[in-house]
Amino acid sequence: MHILVVDDDPLAGEMTAALLESQGHAPLLANDAMEAVEQLDTHSDIQLIVSDMHMPLVSGLALLAMLREQGNNLPFILLTGDTPDAALQQTPGLNACLRKDAELAWNLEVAVRQALALHG
Amino acid sequence: MSKPAPSLHDKLHQLRERFIEQLPSRLAQTAELWQQSRTTSEEQARLAPELHRFFHSLKGTGRSLGFERLALLADQAEEALTTSPARDDIDTFISQLLLQLGREQQHLRSHHGQQQALAAVNSFELTSQVEPPLRNKRQRLIYLCDDEPEQVDQLIHHLRCFGHEVVQFIDTETFFNAVLTRRPDAVIMDVQFPQGQTAGTETLTSLNKLTGQPLPAIVLSAHSDFNSRLSAVRAGCGGYFTKPVKPLDLMLAVDELTTPMVEEPLKVLVVDDEPEAAAYHALLLEEDGMSVHQVHHPADALNAMERFSPDLLLVDVYMPVCSGEELATIIRQQPEYLGLPIIYLSSETDSQKQISAMSAGVEAFLTKPVQPDELVSAVRLRAERLRLLRSLMTRDSMTGLYNHSTTTELITKALAQAHREDSQHAMAMIDIDHFKHVNDTHGHLAGDQVIITLARLLKSRLRLSDIIGRYGGEEFVVLLKGISAEKAATLIDSLREDFALVDFHAGDVRFRCTFSAGISRFPAQPSTESLRLSADQALYRAKHQGRNQIVISTELADER
Repeated sequence: MHILVVDDDPLAGEMTAALLESQGHAPLLANDAMEAVEQLDTHSDIQLIVSDMHMPLVSGLALLAMLREQGNNLPFILLTGDTPDAALQQTPGLNACLRKDAELAWNLEVAVRQALALHG
Repeated sequence: MSKPAPSLHDKLHQLRERFIEQLPSRLAQTAELWQQSRTTSEEQARLAPELHRFFHSLKGTGRSLGFERLALLADQAEEALTTSPARDDIDTFISQLLLQLGREQQHLRSHHGQQQALAAVNSFELTSQVEPPLRNKRQRLIYLCDDEPEQVDQLIHHLRCFGHEVVQFIDTETFFNAVLTRRPDAVIMDVQFPQGQTAGTETLTSLNKLTGQPLPAIVLSAHSDFNSRLSAVRAGCGGYFTKPVKPLDLMLAVDELTTPMVEEPLKVLVVDDEPEAAAYHALLLEEDGMSVHQVHHPADALNAMERFSPDLLLVDVYMPVCSGEELATIIRQQPEYLGLPIIYLSSETDSQKQISAMSAGVEAFLTKPVQPDELVSAVRLRAERLRLLRSLMTRDSMTGLYNHSTTTELITKALAQAHREDSQHAMAMIDIDHFKHVNDTHGHLAGDQVIITLARLLKSRLRLSDIIGRYGGEEFVVLLKGISAEKAATLIDSLREDFALVDFHAGDVRFRCTFSAGISRFPAQPSTESLRLSADQALYRAKHQGRNQIVISTELADER
């Protein structure tokens, strides 16, 4: 059972992965949307996706839209450097949208737990 | 044996070091992009997204790793780049920011800077790992900044007793960084530091300026001179205490400062067979801050009422299957909903029909299309009135806890549900030791102080789902849900230890109090009454064995 972390900033991605690992999950890393799709093809046991919002070429939101179009319904959590606005929060198909700040560790843990519970 | 996997702490530490290492090249790259983008407007358009992303990721990653000042600078740059039309001095502005970023980077590379960033983030990690599952709504994160730690030990102990999370700082700079990394709910700040006569309050002032949000703060000072007090007022502090401080007084001030006056939003259940109409009315009420639940079939209303426990019902009169009037009659036939306000919505203008509706016990009649203001005020007025009546009826006025009859009722309800779900609960009867003696020696005001303090201790340390009531006088009852009697005993015992260390003041006299508790278990005792009896017997034994202790009822002994 893996969690896929997508972030164009390797340091940020590793940090998210470290948080997830400390919370008992097995993270996989992808540097962009293309790599994310490759990882999804190779690993069939990915349970959840945590993606950065701002990435070159394909943004986190575009990745989400792309996956949903392809019928991929894995829970999806978006991370962003800004305070997420209401419109973004309510994007269909999005489980949570979290701000990258000092509370991230705790917020992420809750969001992951909720998303996994929802998807059984 | 393999080497143990590095902890989260170690990993973050490594990531932080790598971030600092990479920072010079990141910044150089950004500066280069910026220069290039200034050459022609084509270049500018081409490089804008990349430049934006650079600052954005600097901000995001910087913030997550605890480099808050760096993140703030990157944020300003990002903001300037995305504002349109661009500011006139954008050239100098961005160059300035790049310079400042460079300076911050040098500061971080110095050993001192690293230590500070680490300290700021460490305080967060250590606490956040134990706190989340336990933290409830009333607990606060409090930063205490004082260069003489031994003077505030007692205070910290008291704050922690009440479930507050306290992080202590001895210098203003570490404090400054910590606030930027993780904003506290309240600050307790000394005025005088080695750095200056009013360094403490000045730090607060500059933080307020930098973040644009005033920090709820209380000053704790050894001095009461005019300048110290003035500096506190200028820093927007909500209180000023001189040392030595009485911890309970300061706690009250912290509570006042951090407890928002907002209550739980009013809850309204909308019953309407037309989803569009229901959604529209719900929206109007939600915009006014109410919490609204919609039901599109009258048959679902009762179920929704039980789960949502609304303060008011908004019902459409014309619905297939069951009219609004019939629904109101069904609802009124259940004693617990006798007082629930019901408002009808209909296109009916015939006053005769309206009157017949009123006979079913309906509070008001609104005609569709309803004026938004009229709807909101009609609902608010009636729902608030019910709230007030309910709280007068159910709460103990001194402590705000549930009163005797409400506690019994709530526990009985919880047990009924527990029977269905096959879960275990524990009940604790708590009684303050020698309370009569406190009243006789120190007066009733001191006695009240003890009761209020114990009530607050229970409220702040137990979960929101637990039922806490004042049974009368100095006696409290608690239903702890979903835990064994043994676990409940451990929990109540930790409260007992903390309570025993709280200092009370009556005039110049300082005194302490203890309590005893008896614990019984559900479903071994299957009813509220039998739970109470066996907890009472255990409490009696605790008192008999010398007080200031917890006793769990043993079913055998209680069958006498």
